[in-house]
Amino acid sequence: MAKPKIAFFDFAGCEGDQLQIANLEERLLDILGHVEVVSFREVATGHSDDYDVAFVEGSITRPEDEIRLKEIRKNAKVLVALGACACIGGINCLKNFMAENVYREEVYGGQARWFSTYAARPLKSVVHVDAEVPGCPIDPTEFARITKELLQGRAPWIPDFPVCVECKQAGNVCRYEMGRMCLGIITRAGCKAACVSEGAHCWGCRGLVPGANLDAARIVMDRAGSDRKATQDLLRFFLGDTGAAL
Amino acid sequence: MTTYTVYKEQLPGLFEKWSKQYALHVPARLREGFYDLVPWKKDLEIAWDYDVAYNSPKRFVMPPHEALITYDRRTCEAQPVFEAPKQILFGVHPYDVKALNQLDQLMEGGSPDQNYLRRREATVVMVFEPLTVSSSAFWASVGAASVAHGFDLYWTKIGPAAFTVEVGSAKGEELLGMNGPLLSSTAGDKEGARRAKARVLAKARKNALRYNWEETPRLLAKCWDSPLWRRYSQMCLACGSCNLVCPTCYCFDIREETDDKLETGVRSREWDGCMLEGFAKVAGNHNFRPKAQDRYRHRYFRKGKYIYDKIGELGCVGCGRCVRACTAGIANPLKVFNELWEETAHEY
Repeated sequence: MAKPKIAFFDFAGCEGDQLQIANLEERLLDILGHVEVVSFREVATGHSDDYDVAFVEGSITRPEDEIRLKEIRKNAKVLVALGACACIGGINCLKNFMAENVYREEVYGGQARWFSTYAARPLKSVVHVDAEVPGCPIDPTEFARITKELLQGRAPWIPDFPVCVECKQAGNVCRYEMGRMCLGIITRAGCKAACVSEGAHCWGCRGLVPGANLDAARIVMDRAGSDRKATQDLLRFFLGDTGAAL
Repeated sequence: MTTYTVYKEQLPGLFEKWSKQYALHVPARLREGFYDLVPWKKDLEIAWDYDVAYNSPKRFVMPPHEALITYDRRTCEAQPVFEAPKQILFGVHPYDVKALNQLDQLMEGGSPDQNYLRRREATVVMVFEPLTVSSSAFWASVGAASVAHGFDLYWTKIGPAAFTVEVGSAKGEELLGMNGPLLSSTAGDKEGARRAKARVLAKARKNALRYNWEETPRLLAKCWDSPLWRRYSQMCLACGSCNLVCPTCYCFDIREETDDKLETGVRSREWDGCMLEGFAKVAGNHNFRPKAQDRYRHRYFRKGKYIYDKIGELGCVGCGRCVRACTAGIANPLKVFNELWEETAHEY
Protein backbone atom coordinates (compact mmCIF):
# COMPACT_ATOMS: atom_id res chain seq x y z
CA MET A 1 0.00 0.00 0.00
CA ALA A 2 1.30 3.43 -0.94
CA LYS A 3 2.08 5.74 1.95
CA PRO A 4 -0.60 8.38 2.55
CA LYS A 5 0.51 11.83 1.42
CA ILE A 6 0.14 14.56 3.99
CA ALA A 7 0.37 18.34 3.74
CA PHE A 8 0.36 21.20 6.23
CA PHE A 9 -1.38 24.53 5.65
CA ASP A 10 -1.78 27.65 7.72
CA PHE A 11 -4.16 30.58 7.88
CA ALA A 12 -4.31 33.33 10.51
CA GLY A 13 -2.20 32.05 13.37
CA CYS A 14 1.33 31.92 14.69
CA GLU A 15 2.26 28.55 13.18
CA GLY A 16 3.07 27.49 16.71
CA ASP A 17 1.22 24.22 16.24
CA GLN A 18 3.46 23.19 13.36
CA LEU A 19 6.37 24.17 15.56
CA GLN A 20 5.02 21.82 18.24
CA ILE A 21 5.04 19.04 15.65
CA ALA A 22 8.62 19.88 14.69
CA ASN A 23 9.38 19.73 18.43
CA LEU A 24 8.59 16.02 18.39
CA GLU A 25 12.13 15.68 16.97
CA GLU A 26 13.24 12.01 17.02
CA ARG A 27 9.66 10.80 17.40
CA LEU A 28 8.75 12.71 14.25
CA LEU A 29 11.08 10.54 12.18
CA ASP A 30 9.28 7.34 13.21
CA ILE A 31 5.82 8.80 12.66
CA LEU A 32 6.75 10.35 9.31
CA GLY A 33 8.11 6.97 8.25
CA HIS A 34 4.50 5.90 7.62
CA VAL A 35 3.59 8.88 5.45
CA GLU A 36 4.92 11.04 2.65
CA VAL A 37 5.06 14.72 3.51
CA VAL A 38 4.40 16.75 0.40
CA SER A 39 4.09 20.14 2.04
CA PHE A 40 5.36 21.36 5.41
CA ARG A 41 6.88 24.76 4.99
CA GLU A 42 8.10 25.10 8.55
CA VAL A 43 10.28 22.01 8.17
CA ALA A 44 10.99 21.49 4.46
CA THR A 45 10.80 23.32 1.14
CA GLY A 46 8.64 22.17 -1.75
CA HIS A 47 4.90 21.86 -2.24
CA SER A 48 2.43 19.64 -4.07
CA ASP A 49 -1.34 19.69 -4.39
CA ASP A 50 -1.49 15.90 -4.44
CA TYR A 51 -2.24 14.88 -0.84
CA ASP A 52 -4.58 12.63 1.17
CA VAL A 53 -4.52 14.27 4.57
CA ALA A 54 -4.41 18.03 5.12
CA PHE A 55 -3.44 19.41 8.51
CA VAL A 56 -4.70 22.97 8.64
CA GLU A 57 -3.65 25.54 11.19
CA GLY A 58 -5.04 29.03 11.83
CA SER A 59 -8.44 30.65 11.61
CA ILE A 60 -10.33 32.14 8.69
CA THR A 61 -10.22 35.93 8.82
CA ARG A 62 -10.61 37.07 5.18
CA PRO A 63 -13.07 36.22 2.39
CA GLU A 64 -10.21 34.96 0.20
CA ASP A 65 -9.21 32.45 2.94
CA GLU A 66 -12.49 30.66 2.30
CA ILE A 67 -11.62 30.03 -1.35
CA ARG A 68 -8.22 28.61 -0.42
CA LEU A 69 -9.65 26.43 2.35
CA LYS A 70 -12.37 25.04 0.08
CA GLU A 71 -9.68 24.15 -2.44
CA ILE A 72 -7.74 22.29 0.27
CA ARG A 73 -10.92 20.50 1.33
CA LYS A 74 -11.50 19.43 -2.27
CA ASN A 75 -7.99 17.98 -2.61
CA ALA A 76 -7.87 16.21 0.75
CA LYS A 77 -9.61 12.98 1.74
CA VAL A 78 -9.17 13.86 5.40
CA LEU A 79 -8.95 17.39 6.80
CA VAL A 80 -7.59 17.82 10.29
CA ALA A 81 -7.84 21.15 12.14
CA LEU A 82 -4.70 21.91 14.07
CA GLY A 83 -4.78 24.11 17.17
CA ALA A 84 -7.20 26.52 18.81
CA CYS A 85 -7.34 29.01 15.90
CA ALA A 86 -8.37 26.30 13.45
CA CYS A 87 -10.65 24.36 15.82
CA ILE A 88 -12.51 27.15 17.65
CA GLY A 89 -11.30 30.42 16.14
CA GLY A 90 -9.11 31.04 19.18
CA ILE A 91 -7.76 34.41 20.17
CA ASN A 92 -8.30 35.78 16.66
CA CYS A 93 -11.96 35.98 17.62
CA LEU A 94 -11.16 38.68 20.19
CA LYS A 95 -11.51 41.15 17.37
CA ASN A 96 -15.09 40.02 16.80
CA PHE A 97 -16.04 41.96 19.92
CA MET A 98 -14.51 45.18 18.62
CA ALA A 99 -15.83 47.62 16.06
CA GLU A 100 -14.36 46.90 12.64
CA ASN A 101 -12.86 50.36 12.19
CA VAL A 102 -11.15 50.07 15.57
CA TYR A 103 -9.31 46.80 14.96
CA ARG A 104 -8.50 47.64 11.34
CA GLU A 105 -6.95 50.92 12.43
CA GLU A 106 -5.09 49.15 15.25
CA VAL A 107 -3.57 46.51 12.97
CA TYR A 108 -3.05 48.26 9.65
CA GLY A 109 -2.96 51.91 10.64
CA GLY A 110 -3.21 54.29 7.73
CA GLN A 111 -3.23 51.43 5.19
CA ALA A 112 -6.37 49.83 6.63
CA ARG A 113 -8.29 50.29 3.39
CA TRP A 114 -5.76 48.18 1.47
CA PHE A 115 -6.57 44.96 3.32
CA SER A 116 -9.68 42.84 3.38
CA THR A 117 -10.70 41.29 6.68
CA TYR A 118 -13.85 40.03 8.39
CA ALA A 119 -14.91 38.37 11.63
CA ALA A 120 -12.51 35.56 12.57
CA ARG A 121 -13.95 32.04 12.54
CA PRO A 122 -12.84 28.42 12.85
CA LEU A 123 -12.38 26.10 9.86
CA LYS A 124 -15.60 24.23 10.62
CA SER A 125 -17.57 27.42 9.90
CA VAL A 126 -16.44 27.12 6.27
CA VAL A 127 -15.81 23.45 5.46
CA HIS A 128 -16.39 20.02 6.97
CA VAL A 129 -13.60 19.11 9.39
CA ASP A 130 -12.90 15.40 9.91
CA ALA A 131 -10.77 15.55 13.03
CA GLU A 132 -9.46 18.12 15.46
CA VAL A 133 -6.24 18.45 17.41
CA PRO A 134 -7.26 21.17 19.89
CA GLY A 135 -5.19 23.42 22.12
CA CYS A 136 -3.05 26.52 22.11
CA PRO A 137 -0.57 25.28 21.31
CA ILE A 138 -1.40 21.67 20.48
CA ASP A 139 0.07 18.91 22.63
CA PRO A 140 2.57 17.17 20.35
CA THR A 141 1.91 13.81 22.01
CA GLU A 142 -1.79 14.18 21.24
CA PHE A 143 -0.96 15.06 17.64
CA ALA A 144 1.18 11.92 17.45
CA ARG A 145 -1.57 9.75 18.90
CA ILE A 146 -4.28 11.14 16.62
CA THR A 147 -2.03 10.72 13.58
CA LYS A 148 -1.38 7.11 14.53
CA GLU A 149 -5.09 6.49 15.01
CA LEU A 150 -5.78 7.91 11.54
CA LEU A 151 -3.03 5.71 10.10
CA GLN A 152 -4.63 2.65 11.67
CA GLY A 153 -8.01 3.60 10.31
CA ARG A 154 -9.45 4.23 13.77
CA ALA A 155 -11.74 7.13 14.63
CA PRO A 156 -9.43 9.72 16.22
CA TRP A 157 -10.31 10.19 19.87
CA ILE A 158 -10.16 13.41 21.85
CA PRO A 159 -11.46 13.65 25.40
CA ASP A 160 -15.17 14.44 25.72
CA PHE A 161 -14.90 15.43 29.39
CA PRO A 162 -13.77 18.68 31.02
CA VAL A 163 -10.33 19.58 32.36
CA CYS A 164 -11.58 18.93 35.93
CA VAL A 165 -11.06 15.22 35.27
CA GLU A 166 -7.39 15.68 34.50
CA CYS A 167 -6.96 18.06 37.43
CA LYS A 168 -8.35 15.43 39.76
CA GLN A 169 -6.10 12.80 38.17
CA ALA A 170 -3.14 15.11 38.72
CA GLY A 171 -4.26 15.79 42.30
CA ASN A 172 -4.28 19.59 41.86
CA VAL A 173 -6.00 21.80 44.41
CA CYS A 174 -9.07 23.23 42.66
CA ARG A 175 -8.74 26.91 41.69
CA TYR A 176 -12.29 27.53 42.90
CA GLU A 177 -11.36 26.23 46.35
CA MET A 178 -8.57 28.81 46.29
CA GLY A 179 -11.13 31.49 45.47
CA ARG A 180 -9.97 31.84 41.87
CA MET A 181 -11.73 31.54 38.53
CA CYS A 182 -10.94 28.77 36.08
CA LEU A 183 -12.43 27.63 32.78
CA GLY A 184 -11.60 23.99 33.40
CA ILE A 185 -15.22 23.31 34.32
CA ILE A 186 -16.38 23.77 30.70
CA THR A 187 -13.20 23.17 28.70
CA ARG A 188 -12.39 19.98 26.83
CA ALA A 189 -9.62 18.03 28.55
CA GLY A 190 -6.59 16.47 26.88
CA CYS A 191 -3.91 18.91 28.02
CA LYS A 192 -3.30 16.95 31.26
CA ALA A 193 -4.49 20.12 33.03
CA ALA A 194 -1.16 21.69 32.08
CA CYS A 195 -1.93 25.30 33.09
CA VAL A 196 -3.47 24.42 36.45
CA SER A 197 -0.68 21.98 37.26
CA GLU A 198 1.78 24.83 36.65
CA GLY A 199 -0.08 27.11 39.06
CA ALA A 200 -2.23 29.10 36.63
CA HIS A 201 -5.88 28.49 35.76
CA CYS A 202 -7.55 27.11 32.65
CA TRP A 203 -8.02 29.58 29.80
CA GLY A 204 -10.27 27.38 27.70
CA CYS A 205 -7.89 26.97 24.75
CA ARG A 206 -9.21 23.51 23.86
CA GLY A 207 -12.73 24.76 23.37
CA LEU A 208 -15.98 23.81 25.02
CA VAL A 209 -16.55 20.28 26.21
CA PRO A 210 -19.56 18.70 24.45
CA GLY A 211 -22.70 19.42 26.46
CA ALA A 212 -21.07 22.14 28.58
CA ASN A 213 -23.58 23.54 31.10
CA LEU A 214 -22.92 27.22 30.39
CA ASP A 215 -25.73 28.57 32.58
CA ALA A 216 -24.34 26.75 35.60
CA ALA A 217 -20.78 27.71 34.67
CA ARG A 218 -21.65 31.41 34.59
CA ILE A 219 -23.20 31.19 38.06
CA VAL A 220 -20.16 29.32 39.40
CA MET A 221 -17.77 31.82 37.79
CA ASP A 222 -19.72 34.82 39.02
CA ARG A 223 -19.57 33.45 42.57
CA ALA A 224 -15.81 33.12 42.31
CA GLY A 225 -14.95 36.15 40.20
CA SER A 226 -14.44 39.64 41.43
CA ASP A 227 -16.77 41.15 38.83
CA ARG A 228 -18.79 40.31 35.75
CA LYS A 229 -16.18 41.87 33.47
CA ALA A 230 -13.53 39.40 34.64
CA THR A 231 -15.83 36.49 33.76
CA GLN A 232 -16.58 38.00 30.37
CA ASP A 233 -12.93 38.65 29.56
CA LEU A 234 -11.97 35.10 30.41
CA LEU A 235 -14.81 33.62 28.36
CA ARG A 236 -13.96 35.77 25.35
CA PHE A 237 -10.25 35.00 25.42
CA PHE A 238 -10.41 31.70 23.55
CA LEU A 239 -14.12 30.97 23.38
CA GLY A 240 -15.20 34.02 21.39
CA ASP A 241 -16.71 31.93 18.61
CA THR A 242 -18.70 29.70 20.99
CA GLY A 243 -21.93 30.21 22.91
CA ALA A 244 -19.92 30.69 26.09
CA ALA A 245 -18.80 34.25 25.41
CA LEU A 246 -21.11 36.87 26.83
CA MET B 1 -4.70 -7.08 70.29
CA THR B 2 -1.23 -5.86 71.20
CA THR B 3 -0.86 -2.15 71.76
CA TYR B 4 2.44 -0.32 72.14
CA THR B 5 3.23 3.18 73.26
CA VAL B 6 5.55 5.08 70.94
CA TYR B 7 7.08 8.51 71.46
CA LYS B 8 7.51 11.19 68.82
CA GLU B 9 11.30 11.17 69.10
CA GLN B 10 11.31 7.56 67.87
CA LEU B 11 9.57 8.48 64.63
CA PRO B 12 12.37 10.02 62.53
CA GLY B 13 14.45 6.87 63.06
CA LEU B 14 11.58 4.61 62.08
CA PHE B 15 10.67 6.71 59.04
CA GLU B 16 14.31 6.67 57.96
CA LYS B 17 14.38 2.85 58.11
CA TRP B 18 10.99 2.39 56.45
CA SER B 19 11.76 4.79 53.62
CA LYS B 20 14.74 2.65 52.64
CA GLN B 21 12.44 -0.28 51.82
CA TYR B 22 9.17 1.41 51.03
CA ALA B 23 7.83 4.52 49.35
CA LEU B 24 6.64 6.25 52.53
CA HIS B 25 3.75 8.72 52.34
CA VAL B 26 2.82 10.93 55.28
CA PRO B 27 0.24 13.69 55.82
CA ALA B 28 1.57 17.21 55.28
CA ARG B 29 0.20 20.69 54.68
CA LEU B 30 0.03 21.69 51.01
CA ARG B 31 -1.08 25.28 51.73
CA GLU B 32 -3.34 26.99 54.25
CA GLY B 33 -6.27 24.65 54.83
CA PHE B 34 -5.17 21.94 52.38
CA TYR B 35 -3.46 18.70 53.35
CA ASP B 36 -2.44 15.59 51.51
CA LEU B 37 -0.36 12.44 51.82
CA VAL B 38 3.03 13.33 50.34
CA PRO B 39 6.33 11.45 50.01
CA TRP B 40 8.24 11.60 53.29
CA LYS B 41 11.58 13.31 53.42
CA LYS B 42 13.83 14.25 56.29
CA ASP B 43 12.61 17.25 58.32
CA LEU B 44 9.19 17.25 56.65
CA GLU B 45 6.66 18.53 59.16
CA ILE B 46 3.89 16.01 59.64
CA ALA B 47 0.40 17.51 59.79
CA TRP B 48 -0.95 15.52 62.75
CA ASP B 49 -4.03 17.71 62.91
CA TYR B 50 -5.01 17.42 59.24
CA ASP B 51 -8.76 17.30 58.70
CA VAL B 52 -8.88 15.42 55.39
CA ALA B 53 -6.28 14.45 52.79
CA TYR B 54 -7.08 16.44 49.64
CA ASN B 55 -6.68 13.36 47.46
CA SER B 56 -8.17 10.06 48.53
CA PRO B 57 -5.85 7.10 49.12
CA LYS B 58 -7.34 5.15 46.20
CA ARG B 59 -4.67 6.69 43.96
CA PHE B 60 -2.09 4.50 45.70
CA VAL B 61 -3.87 1.26 44.87
CA MET B 62 -5.65 2.32 41.71
CA PRO B 63 -3.62 5.07 40.06
CA PRO B 64 -5.27 7.55 37.66
CA HIS B 65 -3.39 5.96 34.75
CA GLU B 66 -2.29 2.37 34.80
CA ALA B 67 -0.91 0.09 32.08
CA LEU B 68 -2.72 -3.26 31.94
CA ILE B 69 -1.16 -5.08 29.00
CA THR B 70 1.43 -4.56 26.30
CA TYR B 71 0.79 -6.07 22.89
CA ASP B 72 2.66 -6.73 19.70
CA ARG B 73 0.73 -6.10 16.50
CA ARG B 74 3.11 -8.20 14.41
CA THR B 75 2.82 -11.40 16.41
CA CYS B 76 -0.61 -10.73 17.93
CA GLU B 77 0.73 -11.49 21.39
CA ALA B 78 -0.05 -9.73 24.64
CA GLN B 79 1.65 -9.62 28.02
CA PRO B 80 0.07 -8.49 31.28
CA VAL B 81 1.70 -5.56 33.09
CA PHE B 82 1.81 -5.63 36.87
CA GLU B 83 3.25 -2.81 38.88
CA ALA B 84 3.14 -3.00 42.62
CA PRO B 85 5.60 -0.68 44.35
CA LYS B 86 6.13 -1.37 48.04
CA GLN B 87 4.58 1.53 49.88
CA ILE B 88 3.57 2.66 53.35
CA LEU B 89 0.59 4.96 53.74
CA PHE B 90 1.18 6.53 57.14
CA GLY B 91 -1.56 8.52 58.84
CA VAL B 92 -4.61 7.48 56.84
CA HIS B 93 -7.86 8.32 58.61
CA PRO B 94 -10.25 5.48 59.53
CA TYR B 95 -12.97 6.49 57.04
CA ASP B 96 -10.42 6.28 54.22
CA VAL B 97 -9.36 2.83 55.42
CA LYS B 98 -13.00 1.83 55.37
CA ALA B 99 -13.08 2.98 51.76
CA LEU B 100 -9.98 0.88 50.98
CA ASN B 101 -11.58 -2.14 52.66
CA GLN B 102 -14.64 -1.62 50.53
CA LEU B 103 -12.54 -1.45 47.36
CA ASP B 104 -10.79 -4.67 48.46
CA GLN B 105 -14.12 -6.45 48.70
CA LEU B 106 -15.37 -5.17 45.36
CA MET B 107 -12.12 -5.84 43.52
CA GLU B 108 -11.85 -9.38 44.90
CA GLY B 109 -15.39 -10.27 43.96
CA GLY B 110 -16.41 -11.63 40.58
CA SER B 111 -13.37 -11.59 38.33
CA PRO B 112 -10.59 -10.52 40.72
CA ASP B 113 -8.74 -7.38 39.63
CA GLN B 114 -5.15 -8.59 39.64
CA ASN B 115 -3.60 -5.16 39.13
CA TYR B 116 -5.47 -3.74 42.10
CA LEU B 117 -4.88 -6.74 44.36
CA ARG B 118 -1.14 -6.78 43.75
CA ARG B 119 -0.80 -3.10 44.53
CA ARG B 120 -2.89 -3.54 47.68
CA GLU B 121 -0.77 -6.50 48.75
CA ALA B 122 2.35 -4.33 48.51
CA THR B 123 0.77 -1.53 50.54
CA VAL B 124 1.14 -1.10 54.29
CA VAL B 125 -1.66 0.96 55.83
CA MET B 126 -1.11 2.85 59.06
CA VAL B 127 -4.25 4.47 60.39
CA PHE B 128 -4.15 7.66 62.38
CA GLU B 129 -7.03 8.69 64.61
CA PRO B 130 -8.09 12.16 63.38
CA LEU B 131 -7.64 15.14 65.68
CA THR B 132 -9.79 17.54 63.67
CA VAL B 133 -12.79 17.11 61.40
CA SER B 134 -13.34 18.76 58.03
CA SER B 135 -16.40 21.03 58.00
CA SER B 136 -17.91 19.00 55.15
CA ALA B 137 -17.29 15.57 56.70
CA PHE B 138 -19.96 13.39 58.27
CA TRP B 139 -18.17 10.06 58.64
CA ALA B 140 -19.33 9.55 62.20
CA SER B 141 -22.92 9.14 61.05
CA VAL B 142 -22.37 6.65 58.22
CA GLY B 143 -20.63 3.95 60.22
CA ALA B 144 -17.14 5.01 59.17
CA ALA B 145 -15.73 6.39 62.41
CA SER B 146 -13.61 3.33 63.09
CA VAL B 147 -12.25 0.28 61.35
CA ALA B 148 -11.59 -3.13 62.82
CA HIS B 149 -9.44 -4.48 59.98
CA GLY B 150 -7.62 -3.45 56.84
CA PHE B 151 -4.71 -1.76 58.60
CA ASP B 152 -1.26 -2.84 59.75
CA LEU B 153 -0.94 -0.32 62.58
CA TYR B 154 -3.45 2.01 64.22
CA TRP B 155 -1.92 5.17 65.66
CA THR B 156 -3.65 7.37 68.24
CA LYS B 157 -2.10 10.54 69.60
CA ILE B 158 -2.52 10.47 73.38
CA GLY B 159 -0.35 13.43 74.32
CA PRO B 160 1.87 16.13 72.83
CA ALA B 161 4.56 13.59 72.01
CA ALA B 162 3.07 10.15 72.67
CA PHE B 163 1.05 7.67 70.65
CA THR B 164 -0.57 4.34 71.25
CA VAL B 165 -0.09 1.98 68.35
CA GLU B 166 -2.47 -0.93 67.98
CA VAL B 167 -1.08 -3.79 65.94
CA GLY B 168 -3.22 -4.96 63.04
CA SER B 169 -0.82 -7.35 61.33
CA ALA B 170 2.46 -9.18 61.84
CA LYS B 171 4.05 -7.00 59.17
CA GLY B 172 2.96 -3.88 61.04
CA GLU B 173 4.45 -5.15 64.28
CA GLU B 174 7.70 -6.02 62.52
CA LEU B 175 7.95 -2.53 60.99
CA LEU B 176 7.25 -0.89 64.34
CA GLY B 177 9.94 -2.96 66.04
CA MET B 178 12.67 -2.21 63.53
CA ASN B 179 14.54 0.11 65.90
CA GLY B 180 14.58 -2.13 68.93
CA PRO B 181 12.25 -3.38 71.65
CA LEU B 182 8.86 -1.77 72.15
CA LEU B 183 7.02 -0.52 75.18
CA SER B 184 3.66 -2.12 75.86
CA SER B 185 0.91 0.39 76.50
CA THR B 186 -0.23 0.82 80.08
CA ALA B 187 -3.90 0.80 81.00
CA GLY B 188 -3.60 4.58 81.35
CA ASP B 189 -2.27 4.94 77.78
CA LYS B 190 -5.12 2.85 76.45
CA GLU B 191 -7.59 5.00 78.34
CA GLY B 192 -5.92 8.03 76.75
CA ALA B 193 -6.53 6.53 73.31
CA ARG B 194 -10.15 5.84 74.15
CA ARG B 195 -10.61 9.45 75.23
CA ALA B 196 -8.87 10.80 72.13
CA LYS B 197 -11.32 8.80 70.06
CA ALA B 198 -14.28 10.09 72.06
CA ARG B 199 -13.08 13.68 71.64
CA VAL B 200 -12.89 13.51 67.86
CA LEU B 201 -16.17 11.64 67.65
CA ALA B 202 -17.89 14.46 69.52
CA LYS B 203 -16.61 16.87 66.85
CA ALA B 204 -17.48 14.58 63.97
CA ARG B 205 -21.06 14.08 65.12
CA LYS B 206 -21.87 17.75 64.48
CA ASN B 207 -22.63 16.87 60.86
CA ALA B 208 -24.97 13.93 60.90
CA LEU B 209 -27.70 12.11 59.07
CA ARG B 210 -31.07 12.61 60.72
CA TYR B 211 -31.71 8.89 60.65
CA ASN B 212 -29.81 5.64 61.06
CA TRP B 213 -27.59 5.22 57.97
CA GLU B 214 -28.87 1.67 57.45
CA GLU B 215 -32.21 3.15 56.38
CA THR B 216 -30.60 4.77 53.32
CA PRO B 217 -31.27 2.00 50.77
CA ARG B 218 -34.92 1.79 51.81
CA LEU B 219 -35.16 5.57 51.73
CA LEU B 220 -33.74 5.74 48.20
CA ALA B 221 -36.03 2.99 46.96
CA LYS B 222 -38.90 5.38 47.60
CA CYS B 223 -37.22 8.39 46.02
CA TRP B 224 -36.58 7.42 42.39
CA ASP B 225 -39.04 10.06 41.19
CA SER B 226 -38.17 12.74 43.71
CA PRO B 227 -38.06 16.30 42.32
CA LEU B 228 -34.81 16.73 44.21
CA TRP B 229 -32.74 15.07 41.46
CA ARG B 230 -33.79 17.62 38.89
CA ARG B 231 -33.52 20.56 41.28
CA TYR B 232 -29.88 19.85 42.06
CA SER B 233 -28.76 18.48 38.72
CA GLN B 234 -29.75 21.67 36.88
CA MET B 235 -26.48 23.07 38.17
CA CYS B 236 -24.44 19.96 37.33
CA LEU B 237 -21.40 20.71 35.17
CA ALA B 238 -20.90 16.99 34.45
CA CYS B 239 -17.24 17.43 35.39
CA GLY B 240 -16.89 14.16 37.29
CA SER B 241 -15.07 15.83 40.21
CA CYS B 242 -17.36 14.17 42.79
CA ASN B 243 -16.53 10.74 41.32
CA LEU B 244 -12.83 11.31 41.01
CA VAL B 245 -12.22 12.61 44.52
CA CYS B 246 -14.43 9.88 46.01
CA PRO B 247 -12.40 7.24 47.89
CA THR B 248 -14.84 4.49 46.89
CA CYS B 249 -15.51 5.34 43.22
CA TYR B 250 -13.49 2.97 41.10
CA CYS B 251 -14.82 3.13 37.52
CA PHE B 252 -12.28 3.31 34.74
CA ASP B 253 -12.08 3.61 30.98
CA ILE B 254 -9.81 1.57 28.72
CA ARG B 255 -7.49 3.20 26.17
CA GLU B 256 -4.93 1.91 23.74
CA GLU B 257 -1.97 3.54 22.08
CA THR B 258 0.56 2.03 19.70
CA ASP B 259 4.19 3.06 19.55
CA ASP B 260 5.40 5.39 16.82
CA LYS B 261 6.51 2.49 14.61
CA LEU B 262 2.98 1.04 14.85
CA GLU B 263 4.44 -2.27 15.98
CA THR B 264 3.74 -2.59 19.69
CA GLY B 265 1.25 -0.93 22.00
CA VAL B 266 -0.04 -0.46 25.53
CA ARG B 267 -3.56 -0.92 26.78
CA SER B 268 -4.19 1.10 29.90
CA ARG B 269 -6.98 2.21 32.16
CA GLU B 270 -7.79 5.69 33.34
CA TRP B 271 -10.16 7.00 35.98
CA ASP B 272 -13.66 7.57 34.67
CA GLY B 273 -16.83 8.70 36.39
CA CYS B 274 -20.57 8.15 36.03
CA MET B 275 -21.26 11.89 36.21
CA LEU B 276 -19.43 12.43 32.91
CA GLU B 277 -21.72 12.65 29.92
CA GLY B 278 -19.66 10.19 27.87
CA PHE B 279 -19.57 7.55 30.62
CA ALA B 280 -22.76 5.80 29.54
CA LYS B 281 -22.16 6.24 25.83
CA VAL B 282 -22.07 2.87 24.06
CA ALA B 283 -21.90 1.58 20.50
CA GLY B 284 -23.80 3.63 17.95
CA ASN B 285 -23.42 6.73 20.16
CA HIS B 286 -26.36 5.56 22.27
CA ASN B 287 -26.31 7.02 25.77
CA PHE B 288 -28.29 5.19 28.42
CA ARG B 289 -27.96 8.05 30.96
CA PRO B 290 -28.14 11.09 28.70
CA LYS B 291 -29.45 13.65 31.20
CA ALA B 292 -27.60 15.23 34.10
CA GLN B 293 -30.59 14.29 36.23
CA ASP B 294 -30.17 10.57 35.43
CA ARG B 295 -26.49 10.69 36.19
CA TYR B 296 -26.90 12.69 39.39
CA ARG B 297 -29.51 10.28 40.72
CA HIS B 298 -27.39 7.32 39.70
CA ARG B 299 -24.47 8.49 41.80
CA TYR B 300 -26.62 8.76 44.96
CA PHE B 301 -28.24 5.41 44.30
CA ARG B 302 -24.80 3.96 43.81
CA LYS B 303 -23.58 5.35 47.14
CA GLY B 304 -26.76 4.73 49.11
CA LYS B 305 -28.28 1.60 47.62
CA TYR B 306 -26.43 -0.36 44.96
CA ILE B 307 -23.23 -0.81 46.99
CA TYR B 308 -25.31 -1.62 50.07
CA ASP B 309 -27.21 -4.27 48.13
CA LYS B 310 -23.89 -5.85 47.20
CA ILE B 311 -21.90 -5.75 50.45
CA GLY B 312 -24.17 -4.40 53.19
CA GLU B 313 -22.54 -1.04 53.77
CA LEU B 314 -22.93 2.43 52.31
CA GLY B 315 -20.80 3.37 49.33
CA CYS B 316 -20.23 6.70 51.05
CA VAL B 317 -17.78 6.94 53.96
CA GLY B 318 -18.62 10.55 54.74
CA CYS B 319 -15.21 12.05 53.98
CA GLY B 320 -16.86 15.14 52.50
CA ARG B 321 -14.40 15.41 49.59
CA CYS B 322 -17.13 15.64 46.95
CA VAL B 323 -18.81 18.41 48.91
CA ARG B 324 -15.62 20.46 48.67
CA ALA B 325 -14.75 19.50 45.10
CA CYS B 326 -18.12 20.38 43.57
CA THR B 327 -17.78 23.90 42.17
CA ALA B 328 -21.53 24.01 41.54
CA GLY B 329 -22.23 23.18 45.20
CA ILE B 330 -24.60 20.32 44.47
CA ALA B 331 -22.58 17.25 45.50
CA ASN B 332 -23.48 16.60 49.10
CA PRO B 333 -24.62 13.12 50.17
CA LEU B 334 -25.45 14.29 53.69
CA LYS B 335 -27.70 17.09 52.47
CA VAL B 336 -29.31 14.99 49.74
CA PHE B 337 -30.04 12.02 52.03
CA ASN B 338 -31.37 14.30 54.79
CA GLU B 339 -33.62 16.18 52.37
CA LEU B 340 -34.98 12.95 50.95
CA TRP B 341 -35.62 11.80 54.51
CA GLU B 342 -37.62 14.95 55.24
CA GLU B 343 -39.48 14.65 51.95
CA THR B 344 -40.66 11.15 52.82
CA ALA B 345 -41.00 11.60 56.60
CA HIS B 346 -44.78 11.57 56.43
CA GLU B 347 -44.64 8.02 55.09
CA TYR B 348 -43.23 6.65 58.33
